[in-house]
Amino acid sequence: MKNNIRSGAIHKNITFRLGLILLLAVVSSCGEDFLERKPKGQLTFDTFFETSDHAVWATNAIYQKFRTWEMCAFPWIGITDIISDDADKGSTPTDALYMLQLDQFSFDATNEGINGAWSGHYQLIFRANLAINNIPGIDMDEELRNRLVGEAKFLRAYTYFRLVQWFGDIPLVTSSLSQDEYYNQTRTSKEVVYDLIEQDLLDAIAVLPEKSDYPAADLGRATKGAARGMLAKLYMVKQQFADAIVQCDSIILSGEYMMLTRYSDNFLRVGEHGAESIFEISAVAEQAAIAGPGATPFNMVQGVRGVPNLGFGFNRPSDDLVADYEAGDPRRQATIIYVGEVLPDGSTIVQDNPEVLNERYNQKAWVPAHAGLNDNGPGNIRILRYSDILLLAAEAYNEEGNPGKALEYLNLVRARARGNNNFILPDITTMDKTELREILYHERRVELAMEQHRWFDLARWGRLADVMPLVQPNFVASKHILLPIPQSEIDLTGGALVQNNGY
Amino acid sequence: MKTLRILFYSLLWLPFTSIAQTTVTGMVLDANSNEPLIGVTILEAQTDHGTLTDLDGRFVFAVTSADPTLIFRYTGYTTVEVKLDGRDQLEIRMAEEATLFDQIVVVGYGTQKKSDLTGAVSSVKGKDLARIPTSNVEQALQGKVSGVYVAPSSGSPGAGAVIRIRGTGTLNNANPLYVIDGMITYDASNVNPEDVESIEVLKDASAAAIYGSRGANGVILITTKGGKTRDKASITASAYYGVQQITNYIDVLNASEFASAYNDLPSLDYFPNPDSLGVGTNYQDEIFRNAPISNFTLSANGGSEQYQYNFSGNYFSQDGIIENSHYDRLTFRINGEFKLNTYMSIGHNVSYSAIREDVAPGVVNTAYRMPPTLTPRDSTGDFTDPTFFGLPVANPSADLFYKSNNHNNASRLFGNMYADIHFLKNFTFRSNFGFDKGNRASQYFEPVFEVSASQLNKNDRLSVGTSSNNDWIWEQTVTYDRTWKAHHITALAGYTAEERENTSLGGSRENFPGSAQELLYLSAGNDTTQMNYQGASDEALTSNLFRVNYTFKSKYLLTASLRIDRSSRFTKANRTGTFPSASVGWNMTDEPFVQDLNFLDRLKVRASYGELGNQAASSRYPSTGAVTSGLYGVFGASESLNQGATLISLSNADLQWETSRQADIGVEVGFFDGRLAVEVDWYNRNTFDIIAAVPIPDYVGSQDDPVVNTAQIRNQGWDISANWREGGTVAYNFGVIVSPVTNTVEKLANGRNEIFAANINGEFASHTVVGLPIGGFYGYKVAGIFQSEEELDMSPKFGDEKIGDIRFADTNLDGILNGDDRTYLGSPIPKLTYSFTAGVEWNGFDLNADVLGVSGYSVFNAKETLRVGVYNWESHVIDRWTPDNPSQTEPRLINGGHNYRVSDRFIQDGDFIRLRNLSLGYTIPSRVTTKAKLDRLRVYVSGTNIWTKQKYSGYSPEFPNAGNTYEVGFDFGGYPVAKSWQAGIEIQF
Repeated sequence: MKNNIRSGAIHKNITFRLGLILLLAVVSSCGEDFLERKPKGQLTFDTFFETSDHAVWATNAIYQKFRTWEMCAFPWIGITDIISDDADKGSTPTDALYMLQLDQFSFDATNEGINGAWSGHYQLIFRANLAINNIPGIDMDEELRNRLVGEAKFLRAYTYFRLVQWFGDIPLVTSSLSQDEYYNQTRTSKEVVYDLIEQDLLDAIAVLPEKSDYPAADLGRATKGAARGMLAKLYMVKQQFADAIVQCDSIILSGEYMMLTRYSDNFLRVGEHGAESIFEISAVAEQAAIAGPGATPFNMVQGVRGVPNLGFGFNRPSDDLVADYEAGDPRRQATIIYVGEVLPDGSTIVQDNPEVLNERYNQKAWVPAHAGLNDNGPGNIRILRYSDILLLAAEAYNEEGNPGKALEYLNLVRARARGNNNFILPDITTMDKTELREILYHERRVELAMEQHRWFDLARWGRLADVMPLVQPNFVASKHILLPIPQSEIDLTGGALVQNNGY
Repeated sequence: MKTLRILFYSLLWLPFTSIAQTTVTGMVLDANSNEPLIGVTILEAQTDHGTLTDLDGRFVFAVTSADPTLIFRYTGYTTVEVKLDGRDQLEIRMAEEATLFDQIVVVGYGTQKKSDLTGAVSSVKGKDLARIPTSNVEQALQGKVSGVYVAPSSGSPGAGAVIRIRGTGTLNNANPLYVIDGMITYDASNVNPEDVESIEVLKDASAAAIYGSRGANGVILITTKGGKTRDKASITASAYYGVQQITNYIDVLNASEFASAYNDLPSLDYFPNPDSLGVGTNYQDEIFRNAPISNFTLSANGGSEQYQYNFSGNYFSQDGIIENSHYDRLTFRINGEFKLNTYMSIGHNVSYSAIREDVAPGVVNTAYRMPPTLTPRDSTGDFTDPTFFGLPVANPSADLFYKSNNHNNASRLFGNMYADIHFLKNFTFRSNFGFDKGNRASQYFEPVFEVSASQLNKNDRLSVGTSSNNDWIWEQTVTYDRTWKAHHITALAGYTAEERENTSLGGSRENFPGSAQELLYLSAGNDTTQMNYQGASDEALTSNLFRVNYTFKSKYLLTASLRIDRSSRFTKANRTGTFPSASVGWNMTDEPFVQDLNFLDRLKVRASYGELGNQAASSRYPSTGAVTSGLYGVFGASESLNQGATLISLSNADLQWETSRQADIGVEVGFFDGRLAVEVDWYNRNTFDIIAAVPIPDYVGSQDDPVVNTAQIRNQGWDISANWREGGTVAYNFGVIVSPVTNTVEKLANGRNEIFAANINGEFASHTVVGLPIGGFYGYKVAGIFQSEEELDMSPKFGDEKIGDIRFADTNLDGILNGDDRTYLGSPIPKLTYSFTAGVEWNGFDLNADVLGVSGYSVFNAKETLRVGVYNWESHVIDRWTPDNPSQTEPRLINGGHNYRVSDRFIQDGDFIRLRNLSLGYTIPSRVTTKAKLDRLRVYVSGTNIWTKQKYSGYSPEFPNAGNTYEVGFDFGGYPVAKSWQAGIEIQF
């Protein structure tokens, strides 16, 4: 009996001690480190923008955005070429209604193409803002730092320039918005947007190298010439012709650029970043797998429908464009692929596709069969060519009352197009300002057709109301000269964004 | 719960004194499960003699009177009185009593008597789940618990369910938390329903607050069967086999109807003679099939006083009703508990499951869209190219043929191990380690094929992926339990830590030397085409928890609990969340004024209030801005890729818990000697600071919407259940569950009063707005069809309408038709769910029926809105407007555009009522089975979903969204739910 009590006491003692230990285990807690978790396989923003590499990467990421669907595929060609008199939708009649709506001016504020372009452009601006606002704080080589900020400013300015030409007044976002700023942005007047574009471009001109000053490995980055060219375009929009002349002439006199002998070479692989190229977005088809990281859908959506290109066949050069070429102008053949034509690489003859009405394709976006699938386009997206600058200069000189200088530049462009064939495209000689203006309208159209400039040019000239109704009876001048702000943006801001007239 | 009972009676084991005259021996069994009942009180009528059954349910009893009547009493069971009539051997089967009040129910970190509960907890027995042929418990819960809405997440084989407890309380993932034998998880798909002892649904704050930061959407506790002490193992074998088929077809146009509709479109070509085309092909015939489902289980249950065990093995195999889809699962479970000595025991609940799945390509939509004028294959046997119409629709038969080499394999080791130590008389310490280790492997091979320019694959490709999860929880709890005088107190304190980690690794290659299964390894492909990826994510949580239960005279009940959670998902400043709750109850049964009411034999009222949390967000790192890399710039003459990286989406470092505050008042009443049990709860559940990635304007430039604390939502409703149970030769039961709930958005943060979502054809179709339910449908109202030029001129319109187009209502009557005329068009959240269950047992026959109803909601037929090409139409377009048929309801046919604006034209009533299950069984009489050395043998036939009444034109009108709650109810053509017939057998020996 005694024994039992003793062992019971010991037993109790052990369980008591054990109990104490266990209680301690209950109240103890793991260290804070246990709760510190970071995303795996990803840089995090709290330690980003700290090194020179980060600055370069953040800038490169802006260029990448130009190769995405919204920036170069349906949304882009939809509201540049297809909406203009240069092109019709293409493909089969029932394919992608929202593109047809753009072509025929039956779109409204819910159009997928317009909405895609809007969001894509602002996403690019988001990246550019990050670079512009954060790179200056990085301790790194000053020259490189300035250049990268200059590149980002050029890219932001160019992107805003597109938006302001499409939509007019727009929300002007120059930094990452905070939560209480998401929903209450209003439209900034286009003059203020122009001011930002101008300042960004002036800043870029000050720090960016000329094309030839870049190391070979950096070919394709924004240059001083590109920034000057974009600024010249801005001045043309603002009708500051003298200012435009300054920018154009400094490009012309820089000796950095010249026209290629053969017009059509500009749009072949050999012409990429050629002497005539002032700015283009490089792309490369890396491998046969799905969309490689360096590729674009730009070529795919415009490619020849069916074998061998497996393109979508959108952006069909219009009858109106075809008719506008002067007799024998070789630029027509260089711009348009017809049924029965041998593809530029000689690979095959374009077959007649019975599903497609009035079948034609944009040769300037055509690329030969390549390593990748059809969605892995290797073709660079041409943004600004030297002949564009020559024609801008010609326009500006004409407006400023210097037709001689205008004719000099205009005839350079025509001479190159003419090549060795002296029976076509004679030199222009008129000194009449109005007549020359009309001639320049025409020349600009055929020189730059299907390169996504036409809508902006017509808008800049104030000619949309004169030109568009001739090809699209639905066009209403009071409404369609500006595109609608996406309805979803108006909804989300509770009406803080006011819609453009007529939508 | 039975284990507890065993323990209880083992302790009270006291042989009654007896004066021997005649000795009766026998056994007492549960009438339903044939389990021996331990500790049943046996009394000789009109004497004070009595005894108890032993651990095997056996008894030896010396009766004293001449022809005595024996009375068998057992808590929770209907008392049985038997006249001995000279027999000296008895086998007594006792049926569970109608009342559910005396059950032991599992609550978080412990158990409680149902009568002592102050929170709203519903309990479902495992045997009530198993009637539905399904691989998992989630779908089997449908219609079983008041306040719980269950919708199958898909009809694909092995699919789980989306569950909403007491309405939709958040904008993000509103799924409840699962706790399987103490291991916390969000995926209960590995539990074989036949292994389930009971499922408890913790509905109110008092019950669920002990799960703190993850309890806001309710908690489902799954307890698997433990072993029972008996001298011979009980072995159970069961099997069923069934056939499933599609519940209904969608009424689409046949070939001649389609051709005539097509001819109304502006198009280059047309059908010269539509009538000659006949019915053509119904592509639903091409993709659906009758599919077998089967299930086999073998289990052994038994144990001694030192060790109790339950082993089970299960094989479940289900073919999908869509061709080429299949799911099978092998599950093993080993549950055991060892008593090491008088103060210490250890135990484990471990399951291993292996899943194999064949995934069919998504063909529901393509079959719905395919022109019926085409055959799946042309006269040469090749797949028909459907782009004959210039439309990018895929031939579903070809997709099934070329894209079905898609397999998943998964295995999961899941369970827990624990040690219980009793010390200092009233204390119990438990250390519980839970683990969940899963591995998944996927393989998808697509051969080279070309059906059309948009349905082709130029390069054969094999993609493989593996992923794994490694989750663990370690919980330390101390429980203090003491009864003195009329007081009973149970107190719990604990500390838990857990970590969850996921990894993935995969790759792909092209150009394989063949498509035979043994060649399908990456190494066989061309290495210049390889792509690969690897990723991982993790999270951690530490918590303190406390709870006190106090009862006085078993009449006055009080519970208070507190959980403090610290989560890695939030920044240090916002990391800690504190979740308190309190509840009171009053057992009025023994109060004199209740005793006076004869018909009333039980009455309890209770009330609770508490706070719960929700840390769910789309990412485990919502507070950290992740920099995306691989955004290459292409530079240089050689066009090389230059690394690019930046932030592409905004994050939110200020993110904090979302908190739900819930009040609950409940009444539990028993009538007519426990035959009728009624339980009614009213609740008001407010969720604050709801975490959601709500759409922000595109001009912000963030590619993904940042996750923010944004809204406040209220769910107010009733959980009502009533059960009538009557024993006897004809035993029957009847149950009703009714759960009405009102969902209201109270507030949206940042001064915003709306959230738009579900962009369809460029317009938002879902609009969450203050004062209305979450995710209400939004769009134009159809006012009519333009019949004349005058009507066109007079009516507000968008501008490009023609005669025959829809005239939308100018709802704000401003004379202009624009976006401001869009309005609320209905809610996808059901206002009411209800169910009926009925069962009758007679002479070994049992007949059971479950009926389920959902009402007061709408669904959006989104598959009808998307018309990228000329697809087939639903048959209502036969009545379309034409100059000869001036329809007032169906517009003229155009392929997209004006008539396809988001409008109530696509919104339909979702209400349905369904015979969820009907089963007829027969248990062979024991006099026959005992000869065959069997304890029990039951055979049955049953039907599932065999009858449905619905208004919706599609398949089953259940379109939940597990990801968020403001974009639900959209039918984009998912895998439909099946109906099935099955026959089964259950053997016990």
